[in-house]
Amino acid sequence: MYRIRFHGRGGQGMKTASRILGTAFFLEGYEVQDAPRYGAERRGAPIFAYVRADSKPINERGIILNPDLVIVADDSLVPVPAAGVMAGITAHTLLLINSNEEESEWRHRLNLECPVLILSLKEEVSERAELPYIGATCTGASARLTGVISNRALEQAIREELSELGTTVIEKNLENALAAYESMADNEGAITEGGLASADSYALPGWIDLPFEDARTSAPAIYAPATSVEVKTGLWRTQRPIIDYDLCKKCWWICGSYCPDGAIEVEESLPIIDYDHCKGCLVCVAQCPSHAIEAIPEAQAQALEAETQEGEQK
Amino acid sequence: MSEKIEKMIRSTRDLPSTHLLGTGTPMCAGCGGLEALNGIYDILGEKTVFVNAAGCMTLLSVYPFTPFRGSWLYTAMASAPAGAQGIRDALDILLEQKRITTDDDLEVVVLTGDGAAYGMGLSATSGAMERNLDFIYVCYDNEGYGNTGQQYSGATPHAAKTATSRGFAGFRGYKKDLFSIWAAHNPAYVATVIGAEPLDLAKKIEKLRGMKGPRMIIALSPCPTGWDFDPRETVHIGQLALKSGIWPLKEYIDGKVTHTKVPRKRVPVEDYLSLQGRFRHLFEPTRNEKLLDEIQARVDSYWEKIEQDEAEK
Ligand SMILES: Cc1ncc(C[n+]2csc(CCOP(=O)(O)OP(=O)(O)O)c2C)c(N)n1
Ligand code: SF4
Ligand code: SF4
Ligand code: SF4
Repeated sequence: MYRIRFHGRGGQGMKTASRILGTAFFLEGYEVQDAPRYGAERRGAPIFAYVRADSKPINERGIILNPDLVIVADDSLVPVPAAGVMAGITAHTLLLINSNEEESEWRHRLNLECPVLILSLKEEVSERAELPYIGATCTGASARLTGVISNRALEQAIREELSELGTTVIEKNLENALAAYESMADNEGAITEGGLASADSYALPGWIDLPFEDARTSAPAIYAPATSVEVKTGLWRTQRPIIDYDLCKKCWWICGSYCPDGAIEVEESLPIIDYDHCKGCLVCVAQCPSHAIEAIPEAQAQALEAETQEGEQK
Repeated sequence: MSEKIEKMIRSTRDLPSTHLLGTGTPMCAGCGGLEALNGIYDILGEKTVFVNAAGCMTLLSVYPFTPFRGSWLYTAMASAPAGAQGIRDALDILLEQKRITTDDDLEVVVLTGDGAAYGMGLSATSGAMERNLDFIYVCYDNEGYGNTGQQYSGATPHAAKTATSRGFAGFRGYKKDLFSIWAAHNPAYVATVIGAEPLDLAKKIEKLRGMKGPRMIIALSPCPTGWDFDPRETVHIGQLALKSGIWPLKEYIDGKVTHTKVPRKRVPVEDYLSLQGRFRHLFEPTRNEKLLDEIQARVDSYWEKIEQDEAEK
């Protein structure tokens, strides 16, 4: 059975990517399951999608714990614990990652034994959360990696799944998917089907037994105000707004009131962005009348930060 | 916070510079509803208890996290105003029995989406107004059932594409006039607001704070996810909703409706529509002149009537 797991952010089309791949498998005569999984979080937050395909009926259910292929549409998710990118990766798994970094860099960073393939995008796309065709690109590449999906099946699956979006969108998706399919020619069939899971060898999760408590103790009551600040929604951000204080006119009531997340604080009339919580919507960038806020890709901002820190340490 | 609120808000510089609502909520990046709620909560303050019908904003408080500084009650979609009645009654009993002081009293605030406000919960709301319940109702209107994937609701505008109106002409119905439906009950206060106009919003919330009885707010809430636009455009789209006249800012007190901001030179409504994916079919592959004209004509006739009424005064 093929077990394939997609990782992306809400808005990057991972659900559609999994559906296209599922349909392509189906057109090749496979039994298929495909399903997205997302929690309460939204656009920008980590999203998972799963595809299982087998020549026999599939009895396995639920999330994929032992993937044969893991596709990461956005490499900024790798260090995010909630994204669970590394979950269940073994030497058998193939990791396909959309990144500007080299394969060796990822192997080194993550201390991986498994094979890693880099999916480099044709054009440099600045807005990574909005990479409009990354889903199709991921599907095209993974279809080739299975070695059992023809480009005809891939094309038909895209046409079927995207039929509502109109010809322009379909053609652009096709172009990207087929280019990615071609780019993986050398690795055709690189993933192998994992064996069937058996209840006997199933490792139980590390259960924690909770004692039964009286409702007055166990009922969900929150005794502190505004505890949501503990949730670092800054991790959703793919673009970082940066204020140039030389240009800032101290009209904090503009950016401060418009920020949907209340993530701009004001100190002595100067706006300060709370990067732990700023989701990177860029409303502030669009609204600042003095054009004092600039957006740069989050990855670049983090790299700059790391450099500065290193410099300070020296 | 309270001293700050005592000060009247007259200009944008009087707007609160620190926010009361906690950050770290699971709303989408660029959520226009969250933007409005931030502005509203800043003025209402922490002596509030929120009654939340199922919708996007129910996710604000997911144990153990909450952005609020006070209590929060989750109700079924249709019954938030009934929940508010229960809380108001309980507070009144506690007050009467002197188990709490008037200082400990809380303002009861219903918070629902438009699916609940314009549709499922309208009967409970009507009943609450009929009983002259002392409460505030905040409807964040994202013009569809957002939390479940943007199906159409009683608030969906004509021609918008939603998950359940996918045809070439979009939604066949018309947005309900909830402002008038609510006002017809003669509650203490009804107003429309939008996060893109924070000063008007703050003044209105400040005004209703000093009142008793049902106080009703509808906040148009540009929704990047359901309306299909880049999150950075949230405020821009809100501003265009005002400039095009498609979202009139107004209030109702004592049987009288007043427009709080009249767009004197209205921009064409298509400036507002064309930025949103849910109206793309009106422009591509060919322009649907008939529908565009119809939408513009409805906006024009609304304002012609307002201008006429004003001239007659
Ligand atoms: C009686 C009932 N029917 C259906 C649902 C499922 N449901 C949960 S949220 C939601 C959408 C609510 O829409 P709206 O009130 O517009 O709020 P929004 O999601 O847009 O914030 C629905 C249908 C429910 N909770 N209760
Ligand atoms: S809107 Fe721009 S200029 Fe004004 S305070 Fe904010 S960053 Fe500074
Ligand atoms: S990008 Fe700007 S407006 Fe958006 S959450 Fe961050 S600080 Fe707020
Ligand atoms: S779907 Fe719309 S209303 Fe709901 S959280 Fe997202 S942006 Fe806000």
